[in-house]
Amino acid sequence: MSASVRTAAQRKARLLLIAELSPVVIVLFVLFGGALVLAVLQSLGFAPWFGVNTFPDFSYFGALWGSSAFWVSLWLTLYYGFVSTIIALIMAIILSLALIKPFRSKTLYKYLYKLPLMIPYTVGIALVVLMLGNGGIMSRLLAFVGMIDNPGQFPQILKTHYGWGIITVYVWKQVPFMTLAIYAVLLGIGRETEEAAAILGANRRQIFFSVTLPQILPGIVSSTLICFAFNVGAFEAPFILGGGYPDTLPVVAWRYFNDANYAFQLQGMATVVSIGIVSGVILFGYLAAYRRYERMRGRA
Amino acid sequence: MTQVQLNAVRKEFGSFVALEHIDLDIQSGELVALLGPSGCGKTTTLRMISGLDNPTNGEILFDGNDVSDVPVRDRNVGMVFQRYALFPHMSVEKNITFGLRVRDIPASEVSERLEEILDIVQLTAFRDRFPAQLSGGQMQRVAIARTLITKPSVLMMDEPLANLDTNLRGEMRRFIRELQQRFNITTIFVTHDQVEAMELSDRVAVLFDGRLEQFDTPDGIYHRPDKTSVAKFMGASNIIDGVVGDGGLKTAFADLSIGDGGAFGAGSQVKAMVRSEAIRLLKEPEAGAQNQLSGTIRTADFFGATVSYVVQVGDYELNVDEHSTEMLEPDTPVYLQLPSDRIWLFPDEKG
Repeated sequence: MSASVRTAAQRKARLLLIAELSPVVIVLFVLFGGALVLAVLQSLGFAPWFGVNTFPDFSYFGALWGSSAFWVSLWLTLYYGFVSTIIALIMAIILSLALIKPFRSKTLYKYLYKLPLMIPYTVGIALVVLMLGNGGIMSRLLAFVGMIDNPGQFPQILKTHYGWGIITVYVWKQVPFMTLAIYAVLLGIGRETEEAAAILGANRRQIFFSVTLPQILPGIVSSTLICFAFNVGAFEAPFILGGGYPDTLPVVAWRYFNDANYAFQLQGMATVVSIGIVSGVILFGYLAAYRRYERMRGRA
Repeated sequence: MTQVQLNAVRKEFGSFVALEHIDLDIQSGELVALLGPSGCGKTTTLRMISGLDNPTNGEILFDGNDVSDVPVRDRNVGMVFQRYALFPHMSVEKNITFGLRVRDIPASEVSERLEEILDIVQLTAFRDRFPAQLSGGQMQRVAIARTLITKPSVLMMDEPLANLDTNLRGEMRRFIRELQQRFNITTIFVTHDQVEAMELSDRVAVLFDGRLEQFDTPDGIYHRPDKTSVAKFMGASNIIDGVVGDGGLKTAFADLSIGDGGAFGAGSQVKAMVRSEAIRLLKEPEAGAQNQLSGTIRTADFFGATVSYVVQVGDYELNVDEHSTEMLEPDTPVYLQLPSDRIWLFPDEKG
């Protein structure tokens, strides 16, 4: 009797757990997983709704990976992703360390730095065009103070393959996000270990590299992981602020999808799947290296 | 061996005054407790001696030299934090040698000193563990070893026994005492626990509201407090109003004979303290006994080794602690004896 009562209770608890987990399971496995499977199938030539079914057909990948433009696009995609993540990270660490210290108007700064989080990327892109474009505010200001003769002499910052415009938007938007994560970790670890290190004779550089940095690593890893994944996959900033052909991979994919010829969708899918493979491999390697480091330091 | 002096030290945080004015003279090799309720400024005092905070006014001297402007890392002090502040990402060994490695001490000397200190704190078997894999007592020993290995001139500890369970406290208390004597190092620790202060230190500095109330031996603080506030903080429960008469003390419930009025002349309004454990409790009166009062037990609280009675004497209630070998019931008529040499007088602070 009591055994059957217990199993009934257990069954109920299990049903509740399934109900609680189902939203994420549905989104992750059905919507996202289903789309992923479809994308892979299409990239391998399975698209009967366009009247194409040559599955399994690696020619789309072959055509893509065989062109030198793809590799330049891949390089540009990774370059923008890496550089903006690293610049944003350095700035976010400096900002987080500053915010930990007591100073006047700290409350104001704690609101101010979060402002870009609430502004959409597109608005950020528009602001960059307004500020840094030729004929933008910076060029006019420099001309006004006489550093250049006319706004036209302002160096080309946007629409080059250096991607300073893209990097500026990513950094502007992601510094607050990373700061949020790192600052929270810093608050959690408190100041005591740093104070202990100072009393033990460590200088500021030693304290940062051997005491603070290893402890904020979880915040650094999680926030850079998210930002890098976004930067590699984002489309609008490189589309508007990039240097044109060869474009970053998401822009390349978009051009295929946007083509009047439906058959190019399959080529686009191959591009999307390639982005997924590359960023997946990089992020997996990053996480694995971090796990290894954590295990070395006694954390499970 | 370092003598530590605080001269007129004051600390303000914005408009908040954490320490009013502290003068403290700690001898070389002495073990001193800073005792007081939370928020009294004891941790602030410790942080200023260590150099983590700077005094707003006044000076801090080590062996007569002003160290107020010496930065933390050059002050060569040691601090054991209340929650130990071990580096979670470093093994026991790395934690302990941190202070030597940042000073670029040669590796051979580092490992020599490491072996020595691991042996002293009995952590040799745990050298490769990480802080999360240690018990509270072990973490504290790592924190102490990490500090002592740098040979600090002053050792500071913030609530060293607070996070340990009862059994471990005794063990750690003996351990700290032994270490302090072995290294003969000037040691200052902070506590809010009267018992901890008394059982560990040579002298106790009692701090209330950013002021030093009394600096004396544990015995002095306990039996001969300067003020009723110190007496109450040290757990005194029988504080009685009275007027000093000729060789006696006139109180609301009895005329008591006192050993010696001390500085108090006849007619002085005073307060008198009688420790609850100094009062004798008898079931039958003793002929010719001094300061013998009759009363009735109101309440009896059992604390294991002792029983705490509240005894009504006239309109007054006195607390009496007795061994629990015999426990008396409430409403039992009893006789109390207040030994005259156990009655301690303070000036009446209200007046």
